[in-house]
Amino acid sequence: MARFPSAEWVTLYQDAINGNPAYKVGGANWDKGVVALICKAKPDVGLEEDAGIWLDLHKGVCREARLVTSAEALKAPFCITGEYARWKQVIRKELDPITGMLQGKLRLKGDLPTIVRFVDASKALVESAGRVATEFPDD
Amino acid sequence: MSYDADSTFVFAFPTRVIYGAGAVSESSLECDRLGMDKVVLVSDRVLAEKTDVVAQVRKALGRRVVLEFLDVPPDSSVAAVEAGAAKAQAAGATGVVSVGGGSVIDTAKGIAILLREGGSLRDHEGFQNLTRKAAPHVVLPTTAGTGSEVTYVAVIKDAEAHRKLLFGDYNILPDSAILDPLLTVGLPAHLTAATGMDALSHALEAMHSLQRQPIADGLALRAIHEVRAALPTCVKTPGDVAARGRQLVASTMAGAAFSNAQVGLVHAIAHTVGARFGVHHGLANSIAMPSVVRFNALACPDQYRQVAEAFGVDPSGSDEALAERLAGAIYAFAKSLGLPGGFKDVGVPREALGELAEATLFDGSVIYNARTVTSAEEVLPVWEAAWQGEG
Repeated sequence: MARFPSAEWVTLYQDAINGNPAYKVGGANWDKGVVALICKAKPDVGLEEDAGIWLDLHKGVCREARLVTSAEALKAPFCITGEYARWKQVIRKELDPITGMLQGKLRLKGDLPTIVRFVDASKALVESAGRVATEFPDD
Repeated sequence: MSYDADSTFVFAFPTRVIYGAGAVSESSLECDRLGMDKVVLVSDRVLAEKTDVVAQVRKALGRRVVLEFLDVPPDSSVAAVEAGAAKAQAAGATGVVSVGGGSVIDTAKGIAILLREGGSLRDHEGFQNLTRKAAPHVVLPTTAGTGSEVTYVAVIKDAEAHRKLLFGDYNILPDSAILDPLLTVGLPAHLTAATGMDALSHALEAMHSLQRQPIADGLALRAIHEVRAALPTCVKTPGDVAARGRQLVASTMAGAAFSNAQVGLVHAIAHTVGARFGVHHGLANSIAMPSVVRFNALACPDQYRQVAEAFGVDPSGSDEALAERLAGAIYAFAKSLGLPGGFKDVGVPREALGELAEATLFDGSVIYNARTVTSAEEVLPVWEAAWQGEG
């Protein structure tokens, strides 16, 4: 069990992505670069600063995953930002991330059609997050 | 009207809409309300030099106009937005008033972003990427189809990168839309027809989108009814202000509907053929609609029954028969307006259909189509039917 967001959770997430056959297939043609996620700070649950998750994804493999600052995360070609509660919904599969972007619940820096073209990969990434035994600090 | 138990939606419609023949005179009051004492007036040279539309707005706004920016190309571009924003900043503008069609309004949305955020437009590309509202923006549409005066979307061509930048953000929704039908009476018949069909496609797509929702449905169905009633009159009797007004309001309703419910395969096709062969957006939507309705027949029959009723088509019978009748009625409607029925009639070569089918899958709209599309093979027959223009 790893707390979200933390370096330990990110490592488990990388393992979950690489162990997910659906991601291998869905992301097989992904060569568009790093996808970063930013979870906005929520001091009342102990998240004092924005947390960035750097996912170096390439051709169906997550080559590197690490916890970074939000400033670093924003350097990625694709960066999805959301409140802590939104990421909790995504990880619990209560919120589809593409619908979340269209509805203003998540913010995307980058080209949406590119993300959309890889909708199967996107779904597999979310499914992989759901496979991580996650502890949420406010539960 | 049924929705899944787990359906969720957000409906955002913060734009204040002011309607009336002569409503152009309200533009100054709207600027006062929004604290816009120095504005850039964005339009294009055709409207400024061949009509009195821009002059009317300039007169209404008076001395608050610190800059007129008229260098908007037919396809809004990053270069135009950045040039307009730089000039507007230098002139001290704090707000934007746009007068024109979709390209002008999208350019103005881009200028509003840069007036607030600075930097390059490319820095702000994305969905819901802005963290604060863009500069205040008042829109006076001169076409009745794009609905851009009430949408959260702007599409701006990046000539250097050979692609289109897509912005989808509640922070670029215009503050006010002034709907004055008198501003649309000078629109030529073929553009009245093509842009009018664009509005119909927005309403249809909002209805068959996977993100459809009851509030948007209400707007879309009314828009469909109004387009059917008013658009033929607008084309045949351009000076009929009542018909022009109905069509203009229908366009705004359809815009609000799709801005919340999204669009689908019709727009994916139109964006693709527009980018590759320069086919007018409204015309491309008009051509694509019948074949997409047939393709979606079994995916959303309840929605199509409602669309049929709104469009004056018998909604009874099997799902396939209904879709066939609806597709035929849309085709006949477009033909009655003088529009071509197939992509073969607008310079698209048949040999390009395979490439176009492949490219369709790269358009963001496709994922919200009622019937899921995952491969070029699935969508190729839709392209072939639209190319042929089967009624």
